[in-house]
Amino acid sequence: MTDALTLDHVSKRFGSHQAVDAISLRIPAGSIYGFLGQNGAGKTTTIRMIMSIYYPDSGQITVLGEPNSESIKDRLGYLPEEKGLYKKMKAWELLAYFGTLKGVPKADAKVKARQLLETVGLGEFSDHRCEQLSKGMGQKVQILATIMHDPELVILDEPFSGLDPVNVEMMREVILKMKRDGRTVIFSTHVMENAEKLCDGIVMIHRGQKVLDGTLAEVKTGGDRGIQIDYDGDSSILRELPGITRINDSGKHAEIFLATGTDPQEILKRLVGRLVIRRFDLREPSLHEVFFRAVKGESHE
Amino acid sequence: MSNKTWLVARREVLENIRTKGFWVGVLMLPIIMVVSVALPRFLEGQKEVRKYAVVDRSGWMLAAIDERAAMPDMQRVLREAIDARRDDPARYAEFPELLRKFVDTLDQIWDNPALVPDPALPEADRKRAREKKEDEVLEGVAMFIGDPSAFECQLPLASMKDALRQASERLAPLRDSVQQWWKSLPPEAASKFEARTAKKLYERIELPTGGEDEVFEALNQKIAKGDLFAYFVIGTDPVLKGDGLRYASANLTDGDLLDWFSRHANAVVRDKRLDEKDIDKLTAQWVQKPLVVDSRKIGKGGKEEESTKADKARQWAPMVFAYILWISIFTITQMLLTNTIEEKSSRIIEVLLSSVSPLQLMMGKIFGIAMTGLLMVGSWTLSFVLIFKYLPGLLAIKFDFDISQIATDPYLLLSFLVYFTLGYLFYASLLVGVGAACDTLKEAQNLMGPISVVMMIPIMAIAFLAQDPNSRLAVIMSYIPPFTPFVMMNRAAGPPTLMEYVTTTALLLVSIVIVMWAAAKVFRVGILMSGKAPSFKDIIVWIKAPVGQVPERTHGPTK
Repeated sequence: MTDALTLDHVSKRFGSHQAVDAISLRIPAGSIYGFLGQNGAGKTTTIRMIMSIYYPDSGQITVLGEPNSESIKDRLGYLPEEKGLYKKMKAWELLAYFGTLKGVPKADAKVKARQLLETVGLGEFSDHRCEQLSKGMGQKVQILATIMHDPELVILDEPFSGLDPVNVEMMREVILKMKRDGRTVIFSTHVMENAEKLCDGIVMIHRGQKVLDGTLAEVKTGGDRGIQIDYDGDSSILRELPGITRINDSGKHAEIFLATGTDPQEILKRLVGRLVIRRFDLREPSLHEVFFRAVKGESHE
Repeated sequence: MSNKTWLVARREVLENIRTKGFWVGVLMLPIIMVVSVALPRFLEGQKEVRKYAVVDRSGWMLAAIDERAAMPDMQRVLREAIDARRDDPARYAEFPELLRKFVDTLDQIWDNPALVPDPALPEADRKRAREKKEDEVLEGVAMFIGDPSAFECQLPLASMKDALRQASERLAPLRDSVQQWWKSLPPEAASKFEARTAKKLYERIELPTGGEDEVFEALNQKIAKGDLFAYFVIGTDPVLKGDGLRYASANLTDGDLLDWFSRHANAVVRDKRLDEKDIDKLTAQWVQKPLVVDSRKIGKGGKEEESTKADKARQWAPMVFAYILWISIFTITQMLLTNTIEEKSSRIIEVLLSSVSPLQLMMGKIFGIAMTGLLMVGSWTLSFVLIFKYLPGLLAIKFDFDISQIATDPYLLLSFLVYFTLGYLFYASLLVGVGAACDTLKEAQNLMGPISVVMMIPIMAIAFLAQDPNSRLAVIMSYIPPFTPFVMMNRAAGPPTLMEYVTTTALLLVSIVIVMWAAAKVFRVGILMSGKAPSFKDIIVWIKAPVGQVPERTHGPTK
C-alpha cells in the first residue's frame, strides 16, 4: 500500500516554544487516521505544516508522493478547526469559489456546488446567503467546501468539536463516505471515543512529540487487558476492590485494570449484589487508557 | 498575476460592488455635483415674488429708478434674442415682432471692425473676447431704451461711437414701443424670454390711498400680515440733502430686494448730482473709472501671454483633483483594511490559505480592491465628463467654458487615474499589513495612528502648494514617496519637469515594491495569529525574520 503522507523528523518552533518536535510518521493511502492529543499538543501545527500553511523549520514532509506540498494543494481538502464562511455569499457561490480556488473549472464548479448541496439536503438553500443558514447548515457547507474538488487526501482539524449529536453522526457518515470514495482521511481530535469508532490507525501526539503510532489493533496490543463493566449503583465500591492497578470510572461505565495474579472472576464475585452489573467483559484497553499510559500519568483533561 | 490571485481579486470585486457603500461612493460625487448646480437654480425658481411699495416724497425719483431697474432685464432679453437669432431660429420666432425688428436693426452693428477680436488669440479666447465686447454694447443699447440721452455717455467702445450713433438713429422710432412692451409684460411672460429677470423677483404694488400716516399704517399692517415684503420711503431731496432711503420689512436678513433697489436708486442720485454741478457725464465716468490692471503670465518660452480666467482655473483645478485623489485613496484603503480584518476574524483565512499562498491572497486582495476603487473613480471621471457635457443642455444652463474644459482635460484625468493607482498600491500595502496583524478594527486603529498622521500632511499642504506649485517645499515633498501622488497631482498646474515626473515616479515605484515586500512578510506571519495585537517592535521583528520562521512576540501568546 502506498503512503498518502509521510513525515520525517519534522519540527516547528514558535519563538522559544517547540510546537512540534521531530515527528516522523507514515499514513497509508485509503485509510482513516486520527491525530490524537490534548489541546495544544501540536496537532494543529502539524496539520498546518502538512497543508503548507506553515513551513517546517526542519524535516521533510511528503504528501501524495510529492515533497513540495505547495504544488499539490489542489489535491488536498482541508477543514480547519476555526471555520468561517463569507456571510454575504450565497451557499452555492461560496462552494464554487472554494472549488475554483482549488482548480475546478468555473463552469463545473457551478454545477458541482449545486449537486453537492442537493446530496446533503440543502438543495433549496443553495441560493441563500451564508448568513441566512442555520449553524448546522453552515457546518455542512463547510464540509462540502473541503471535497468540492475531489481531493485525494482530506484533512479535518477537530471536525467534531462544537457539533450536536445529529451532526456528529452526519460528520461520521461523511468521513466514512470519503473513505468509500477512496480518499485518505486524517482528522484530529482530543476525544478518544470519536477516534476509536472510526480510525484505521492513530497517531498520538503529546507536547510536540509522537508518543504512539499504528493501527488501532497495534496500539492496543501493547497494554494489558482490562475488565469493562456497565453498571448501576454506588461506584465507591469499585475503589475498595483489592488487586487492581487503575480504574477509569465514568459513572455508569468503568474500566478496571488488574494487578498481576488477580482473578477477574474474583472481582465479579465481589461486585455482584452490591452493584447492578449489566455487562462484564475482559478485553483490550480503551484508547483513553492507551493514551493515558503513553503519556505516563502526566495530567490530562 | 497567477490564476488564484485573479480568483481572489475577482471575488473581492464582486463582493464589494454588491455592498451599499460602494454604490453610495459611486453616486455620491455626481449627485453632489448635480445637486450643487441644480439646487440653487431650483430654489431661485421657487422663490416667491417679493412685493414692495414705495412712498416717493421727492416726487420724481421713483420713475427714474423704475426705468433704470428695467435696463439689466432689457439687456438680458436682448442678449437672449440675439443669441436665438444666431443659433435657434425657432426660438427667435417666439420673440414678439417688435423686438425682432429692433434686434434685426441692431444686428448691423455686429460687423463693426471694433467688435472683431484679435485673430491671433486662440479660438476659445476669441469667442470670449467677442462676447465681452458685445455685452458692453448691449448695456449701452439697454440704457438707450430707457433714456436716449444716456446712450452716448454709456458708449463702451470709443471706436464704435459713429456706428452706434447711426444705429441709435435707426432704433429711435422703435425705442418707446419696446420700452412700453417690456413695462406691460407680465412677469410670467417675461421669464419665457429670460429666466433671471428682476421682473420675476420683485413686484411693486400701488400705495394705499389716504394721508401719509394712514398709508404707513396700512403698509405696516400689510407687512405684518405677510401681504407685503417691504416698503421704501424716498426722502424729499435725496440729491442735495441727507434724507435718502428708508427701508422697512419684517425680514432684514434677506437683503436682495434692498440691494437691488438701492443700487439703482444710487445710480439715479449719482447722475442727478452730476447734472446739478454741470459735470459732464463722460468726464465723471472717466474720473470714476478704476485703474486698469493687466496681469500677464510669462510662459515657458519667456513670452508674455494674456492671463485669462482659464489660467486661474487651471491653477486651482489640480488642487480639486488632489483633494478627490486623497479622499478616494483614503476610502478605498479603509475598505481593504476592514475587509482583511473581517476575513481574519471570521476565520475564513485558514481555508483560503489551504488553497492559495499568503502572497497570492494578499495580492489578490490588493488587486481586487484596486479594481473596485478604479471602478469607483473611473465612474467619477466619466460622470464628470458627462455632467459637464450634457447637464447644461438638460438644465438649460451654461457652465463656464473654461471650467468645463479643464474639468475634462484628459491630461488631468489621466494623471489622476495614474496617481490613484500608485498611491493606492502604496497605502494598500501598508494597510493590508496592518489588517493582517490585527484581530479587530480597534487594534488596527492603534497601528494606523502614525500612518494617518503621514496621510494628513499632504491634505494640509494642498491649498498651500497650489499657490506656488514649484516652490522648494513642493519640490521636496514630491520626492517623499508617501506624499508623491498627492503633491504631484497638486503641482500639475506648475507643471513639474519631465525629469521630476520620471524620478518621483521611479522613487514611488521602488518604495511600493519595498512596502509590498514588508507587507507580505507581516501578512504571512500575522494572518494566522490571534491574541494581543503586536507592537511596532514585533512587526519589525516579523519583517526581519527569514521566511518560514515564526518569531516570538514580545508579549502575549503565540499560537
